[in-house]
Amino acid sequence: MVIQTLLLCGLIIFSGLAIIFKDLLKAALSLAVASLCLGIIFFRLGAPYAGVFEISVVAGLITVLFILTIALTKKEREIKEANLTRIAFPLFFILFLIIDGLVMKSLLQKVPALPSEPEAGIFGEVLWKQRTFDLVAQIGVILAGVLAVLALFRKKEDEKDE
Amino acid sequence: MVFLFIVIPLLVAAFLPLIGKFSKKLIPDVLTNAALAFLLFNSILLVKPVFNQGSVVQNVNWFGEKINLQIALDGFNLFMLFTISLVSLGISLFSIDYLEHYGYKANFYALLLVMIAGMNGLVLVPDLFSIYLFMEVAAVASYALVAFGLGSDELEASFKYLMLSVVASAFVLLSITIIFGLTGSLNFQAVAQALQDLNARYVVGVCVAFFIMGFGLKAALVPFHAWLPDAHPSAPAPISAMLSGLLIKVSGIYALFRIVYSVIGMTPVLSQVLMAMGTISLVVAAFLALGQKDIKRMLAYSSISQVGYIVLGLALGTPLGIAGGLFHLFNHAVAKGLLFLNSGSIQHITGTRNLDELGGLGKLVPITAGTNLVGALSITGVPPLAGFWSKLIIIIALIQAKQFGYALVAILASILTLWYYLLIQRKAFFGKTNPKWLHLKEAPFWMSAANVILALICILVGIFFTPVFKTWISPAAEALAQGIQHVLMWGI
Repeated sequence: MVIQTLLLCGLIIFSGLAIIFKDLLKAALSLAVASLCLGIIFFRLGAPYAGVFEISVVAGLITVLFILTIALTKKEREIKEANLTRIAFPLFFILFLIIDGLVMKSLLQKVPALPSEPEAGIFGEVLWKQRTFDLVAQIGVILAGVLAVLALFRKKEDEKDE
Repeated sequence: MVFLFIVIPLLVAAFLPLIGKFSKKLIPDVLTNAALAFLLFNSILLVKPVFNQGSVVQNVNWFGEKINLQIALDGFNLFMLFTISLVSLGISLFSIDYLEHYGYKANFYALLLVMIAGMNGLVLVPDLFSIYLFMEVAAVASYALVAFGLGSDELEASFKYLMLSVVASAFVLLSITIIFGLTGSLNFQAVAQALQDLNARYVVGVCVAFFIMGFGLKAALVPFHAWLPDAHPSAPAPISAMLSGLLIKVSGIYALFRIVYSVIGMTPVLSQVLMAMGTISLVVAAFLALGQKDIKRMLAYSSISQVGYIVLGLALGTPLGIAGGLFHLFNHAVAKGLLFLNSGSIQHITGTRNLDELGGLGKLVPITAGTNLVGALSITGVPPLAGFWSKLIIIIALIQAKQFGYALVAILASILTLWYYLLIQRKAFFGKTNPKWLHLKEAPFWMSAANVILALICILVGIFFTPVFKTWISPAAEALAQGIQHVLMWGI
């Protein structure tokens, strides 16, 4: 219970830091730590596949991509953030935590136990035989992402050619 | 076959960027329009089996082995598939000439087809998580399409749209997670059955609130509408037509009402909440539309207002109200698609969308002016055009249900709608012609042809209202009106 609470607190704190940090590198690393906490929570809750994906893809691969992109970007000029946003986010965050705590405390008592075992069956079986439609949709999302990159970065390439 | 509604657009989209390397215009034009024409034809072929059996459940086989791809087709999603295919075909025909000045047609068509595949998938899947995933497929493609022009306005609008859309998706996902925790399933039928057996009213209430926030944001219902007046006008005209005509209805209205009616079950309190939201949207957005000078921005506010009518009819819950709401959904998809394409024609011809700069275009570009008038009058609800019947049905349904206050607001808002559409007509097409427009020529062939086709649909659906209503609207309304019982009969 203590470890679980610490992991949940870590998840919330590092997620918050990822938004608050102005340095993009620190923000990316905070996000990686947050998703590492989430991955461990998944393992502890009996969802090893979700945990593996969370740690390898979100904490690992995506963080590497973020850091690579940050390293390739030049710092041109400072964009000053409005003071209101800097104050508003922590305030909303604290308010959300209080409301969330109150609502979930009363709600969770009313939620019955999950009727079936989570992640029943081997990974391949779950993915191919139970959630096949999700695979089709994921192909669609990846295709949309690739096409979006092709469409939105086209002018830069043209300028380079010229 | 039903699965083709998802596979064909995805396959064509995957090959288009490669084909675009060899043929920049002709093959992408032909291939995209042929694929969409096939989908329209396919949706018409499916009318008979759905009409006879009520619903069709299909399993997909892979080399003889049954895989878990189940699609449940009923009157409601067939009606949506038909609307998506029809309006997208009109839009892709318009794009043949319109995209000449943007270039990169193959990429544009590929993104458009992925968006259509996402919408078709969302409409067809009988599973909560798959609905979320297909909603994201359509959304990711739409962010790129809004920013397709790469101007600062487009990029800013796309970013704003992305940020608010992500918030919407988060609410939807949160609600799906809670439902999965409650029922241990994501399948419509299993969830509907489990929620019936469980006594978890408050938790389900919270889920419904999250769904309303999430899908309400996608549908741009007031007070979740802030992103739409920026995103829709900034996009290229065919994409504005896709977003206003189809995407807000599929990602917002279809998903919300499918879940509310077929999975959770409509309650009197929920009906009142949604009717109030619909009414606020239709009044507030109508007033906001009045003050606009940019045609596309005015049309965007009009979309929020007309979505209010659709929600009002669907949330009423009576068979006539649902039928009126669905019929208005179809009419608005066609007429708003037409009006956004038309605004693209005006911008293509004159180079501006500012109503104060236009004037007297009616004599110079009669096809654009005529089709604009038809679309405007249809949305306003002038007989005998299609929009008249749907608004009439919604108002009659409200009076039958003794909701006189809502009926009165719906009638008064219709007058406001007429007011701002007449403003467009007066400022753009009538009055004194600005001397700088005297050399103007009509829009290119495919742009005018798409406008004429959609305008003809507005007229013909109005004239042949009875057969259209019987074939498409009644089975869709019946499927929704049966509520949870309808899904429980699917036998998945």
